[in-house]
Amino acid sequence: MAWKFERVAGPYKGITGGVAWDGSGVLFSAVQEERILRFDPATGSVANFRKYTGRTNGIALGRDGTVYGAQEGGRRVIHFKADGSTAPTCELLDGRHHNQPTDLVVDRVGRVWFADPHNQVAPYGPPVYPFLERGSILRLERAGRAWELRRITDDTSEPRALLLSPDERTLIVAEGNVELGADCDLRSYAIAEDGGVDDCTVLYEFDPGERGIEGLCLDSAGNIIACAGWKKNGAGPLIYVYAPDGELLESHVAPCDLPMRCAFGDAGLDSLYLTAGDGSLYRARGTGRRGVARR
Amino acid sequence: MQFEVDMMAPGAGRIIGTEHRLEVIAEDVVFGEGPVWDKRSGQFYFTDICGDTIWKCRPGSRPQVVLQPSSHANGMCMDREGRLLVAGWGGRTVFRFEKDGSRATLASHYEGKKINSPNDIVVRSDGQIYFTDSPGGMLNVGMVGDDLQKYLDIQGVFRITTGGELILVTDDFVYPNGLCFSPDEKLLYVNCSRERLIRVYDVHPDGGVGPGRLFYQYTNPDRGNPDGLKCDVEGNVYCTGPGGIWVHDPQGKVLARMKVPGHPTNLGFGGDDWRSIFVTCVGNVVRTRTNIPGVAGW
Repeated sequence: MAWKFERVAGPYKGITGGVAWDGSGVLFSAVQEERILRFDPATGSVANFRKYTGRTNGIALGRDGTVYGAQEGGRRVIHFKADGSTAPTCELLDGRHHNQPTDLVVDRVGRVWFADPHNQVAPYGPPVYPFLERGSILRLERAGRAWELRRITDDTSEPRALLLSPDERTLIVAEGNVELGADCDLRSYAIAEDGGVDDCTVLYEFDPGERGIEGLCLDSAGNIIACAGWKKNGAGPLIYVYAPDGELLESHVAPCDLPMRCAFGDAGLDSLYLTAGDGSLYRARGTGRRGVARR
Repeated sequence: MQFEVDMMAPGAGRIIGTEHRLEVIAEDVVFGEGPVWDKRSGQFYFTDICGDTIWKCRPGSRPQVVLQPSSHANGMCMDREGRLLVAGWGGRTVFRFEKDGSRATLASHYEGKKINSPNDIVVRSDGQIYFTDSPGGMLNVGMVGDDLQKYLDIQGVFRITTGGELILVTDDFVYPNGLCFSPDEKLLYVNCSRERLIRVYDVHPDGGVGPGRLFYQYTNPDRGNPDGLKCDVEGNVYCTGPGGIWVHDPQGKVLARMKVPGHPTNLGFGGDDWRSIFVTCVGNVVRTRTNIPGVAGW
């Protein structure tokens, strides 16, 4: 069945990026406006969740409702605390500042996995700290009150988005950024007992020069919903649905160019919310698929 | 080491001389800032924001740690009693070293909200403390503290009265950074790193200011934005900016650009005759000599 998207918020200046369902509303990033907004489907109203986010893009909630953000501008993952303050996590990988986080996901035990590519927009502050050559999937975990940071993938260069499978035994990564000259694919990694990963399995490859996946979410059957493509070339701006093994099940025409990120929401978790290059928040109701409830 | 100077108007040589040499005062500095001369002890203080340290050194000797970690402290100055005042940047306070070595917080909240990240600081002869409250210490890579949330909707220039009250001087700025008084303290200069300009304000007797006027706007494409700002005793204005330290006459006209190599962040006059210029940079701290003394610190 075709998905019909309606604009429910925006447009805002620049793109909208990270998007997450918080149980009763949709948090989404107006990246250039440096705000996270919250759309309330009950009233259709939009309010600030947080101002001055330092160009936060990806948003993820932990099991306990903790909200994390991928702060591209500050080269860090941040924790939006309930008291209104914002805490840093760990910014150093083996003593060096990591790159510019763009997407993140929190696992059952509270570890924060994030995609750490390079970004076209320079970070805040004087360029004192060189970038890491590779963009990787990194993972934060608690060490007492502090955080530790570990590198998970060493075969990626510009990962844009990531997911964990429902059983959290598979890591799914959208790799590549054509604007930085890195070809795009969707890939998976089996997660070993020690929490590391081995070689990847490529699930889907985009044509060279085609815009790949910017945002991912899961449905309740473990299928992968992916926002990808652009009008410039290739198949165009689409929302893809892949089976866990990478089989392309269906695709839907995005409501505008440069679809960014997506999340299921609303009472039955059967609406898909979508952020986009035009700075809007879109919703497709009655998708025939359901999201995964936060456990 | 020699360095290049663009002489851009007649009379520049009389002010900054014609021989331009640099002497390295400190090395292994990640991001130098906060240069201040302590006339009482003949020592020079500076901060390493990224290195999270306040240093002091007697020229010719190795620097010694004053405070580490330093909350990524930024600008500094002496108050009238010779106590070191610190724009706490990542720590989001203004604090003072007391004579016994303890530290007193002088500003942390405005109208009940945590301030941004104090960047640079100066004292008026009546004891009021002025500081800029830009947002970088909540965002910049390697410069932040425990709380990255901005609460105020302004990037103010503030003053702390001798009674300890925090008063907004102006909210004209996107990113207020360096600030200094003219020698007679009738003018307050403040620069903006984002808009790449210097504004000047008439200072009222109580320490408040009138409307700002544009003093100079940088259009030079070289790397670097307005940062440190100081006056000499003739009222010439020195600003670290694109490609070096810019020297303006009191009307704003550019007299010279001192192309200190690397990336100069701030400058401070010092030495017994106040004719040394200490320049903090990304990577080191250097010193040069000049003809016209800077406005003396306390």
